[in-house]
Amino acid sequence: MIAENTQTQMRKGILEYCVLLIISRGEIYASDIIVELKSARLLVVEGTLYPLLTRLKNNGLLSYNWVESTSGPPRKYYLLTEKGKSILIQLDSTWQELSYAINTSKKVADNDTNDQININK
Amino acid sequence: MKKTLNINIGNSIIHIEEDAYEILTVYLNEVKQHFARNADDFEIVTDIENRIAEMFVEILANEQRQVVNFQDVQTVIAQMGSVKDFESSEEEPEEYIAPPHFSVKKLYRDTDQAMIAGVCSGLSHYLDIESRLVRLIAIATIFLGGSGILAYVVLWIMIPRAVTKAEKMTMRGEEANLKGFANSYLQPLAQQSRGFIAEFLDVLGNFINGTGKVIFKIIAAGIIAFGSLCILSLIVALAALLGLWDSNIYQMFPLNIVNQDYLTASIVAVFLVFAIPVLALVLFSIRVAFNSRPANKSLSFGLLIIWLAGVAVASFYVVKIGSEFKEGAEFTQVNDIKPYQVYTLNIDRTRFFTKEDSLRYSIDPGNYNGRRILTDLDHNFDAPRNIRLNIEKSENGKSYLSQYYKARGKTFEMALKNAQNIHYDFLQHDSLLTFSPMLQFIKAGNWRGQEVELTLKVPVGTKLNISKNFSRYLDGYGYWDCDHDSSSEFTVWKMTQEGIKCEHEEKENNGE
Repeated sequence: MIAENTQTQMRKGILEYCVLLIISRGEIYASDIIVELKSARLLVVEGTLYPLLTRLKNNGLLSYNWVESTSGPPRKYYLLTEKGKSILIQLDSTWQELSYAINTSKKVADNDTNDQININK
Repeated sequence: MKKTLNINIGNSIIHIEEDAYEILTVYLNEVKQHFARNADDFEIVTDIENRIAEMFVEILANEQRQVVNFQDVQTVIAQMGSVKDFESSEEEPEEYIAPPHFSVKKLYRDTDQAMIAGVCSGLSHYLDIESRLVRLIAIATIFLGGSGILAYVVLWIMIPRAVTKAEKMTMRGEEANLKGFANSYLQPLAQQSRGFIAEFLDVLGNFINGTGKVIFKIIAAGIIAFGSLCILSLIVALAALLGLWDSNIYQMFPLNIVNQDYLTASIVAVFLVFAIPVLALVLFSIRVAFNSRPANKSLSFGLLIIWLAGVAVASFYVVKIGSEFKEGAEFTQVNDIKPYQVYTLNIDRTRFFTKEDSLRYSIDPGNYNGRRILTDLDHNFDAPRNIRLNIEKSENGKSYLSQYYKARGKTFEMALKNAQNIHYDFLQHDSLLTFSPMLQFIKAGNWRGQEVELTLKVPVGTKLNISKNFSRYLDGYGYWDCDHDSSSEFTVWKMTQEGIKCEHEEKENNGE
């Protein structure tokens, strides 16, 4: 249960970051975001994405344009706002820190286990 | 074959099969409920709907189909993700307090468990009472001036029937979600709801099949018993008419209408016309009462053919015999009556036999000396009433009797012949005038509306003693008003300027 909760928290934060990253590469349609996420092996269903996009948009990180579609109604294409871009930069640095923290923690842990093995030897 | 619906989703018109529509509706309701506590719920749901519409359009375009089916909806839902998937990536799961679980219950008629139209069982679902109790109360209200019946019909019309699975689940208070849906998906789709009248007839049919079965069987058994009896008596009558009895029966009305030559054929035809419908009714009742399989088709068809043949033959004879009533003829014969101041009018039931008849009935004059053979006044089956008597004022001061002989026939000549065939007995014995209660045929013949109208003309001032037997042949003389002395066999009348008057009355008038 605790593991699950932590997983959810981790995924949630990373999902948001990934979505911003994907959008930062240019105007994109929601279902194309899904495709990208899937190829990144971050499994999401589409239904999860819409609330997230809406929240990001309402917080001023995203905006969208209506683009005519050949197969159906017009589509919302999302892009990053200036605010979104600056926040993404912040998130980039946060991710660097986190990744460093994790890598470091892992290294220390590895060293520790190695030490233990050495001692046993 | 499946019924399809047109839906407008995300501003696209989509053709969708009914079962697919149901599951889609349930899904979208769940999604709406899920996002209801989100501030941006409308926008999110709109986005999702747009996307679903787009996916439908894509699927249809790719597979070159017209209609979205159940499978497509499932594919789309899988891609969009169920509410459970949304929950696992919920933003603030700790803060989220599940709303108290109130599944919206709606009032529907439950036609699956219906006794009549499912009003009671629908109410029982809604109120969470056992349906038997609701029915008991409903039956009790019938005794409150029948208000229960009216209420039932009103509720029947007002409350919609639970047709779709989603509606049925809502009726029972089950959450109409995908899980419940999956459970009930294997159930066959309910019949489409139709008009009230059609449903009423359905229900009536079910009632007859179900609750009313017992009553219906009793009625059916009654019909079987009565019908069998009818058929039996018809067969007996047929056998009797076709020669077991002596031919005198054909002198009786109404058989004496039918010409001798046509008798056998027409009797058989009439038998068929009446017996076959009764037989069909009995067979039908047997089927209903014992739930046996439907009657053999060729048997039914054969019966129908025979019946139609019977009808054809019968109507042929009806027309043929009817044509013998086409023309009418009458002639008058005037008999003078010896003048008396007082006449006594009586009916003589003595039958006068011709020599032939006497022989036929083996009436030996020696043996029958001093005996009289009387006709039966009350059981005169020979013909419809064919004697009419009038008593009128004589203009020339003489007493006489006019006898009009009337009859009908195919041609005037035939009609006249028929009229001439009438023999009527009238006798004057001093002041006693004796009339016969019936006419007779000189030669045996068929009934062709033969009638004798007798008009007795007497001068003003003539007194008449009219016997009670005689009076039954008088129309419109107010005879019963004159019948003061019930012990007397005669009533006393007097001819006045205005026609005959009861003497009793006359005296009263003079006395004043």
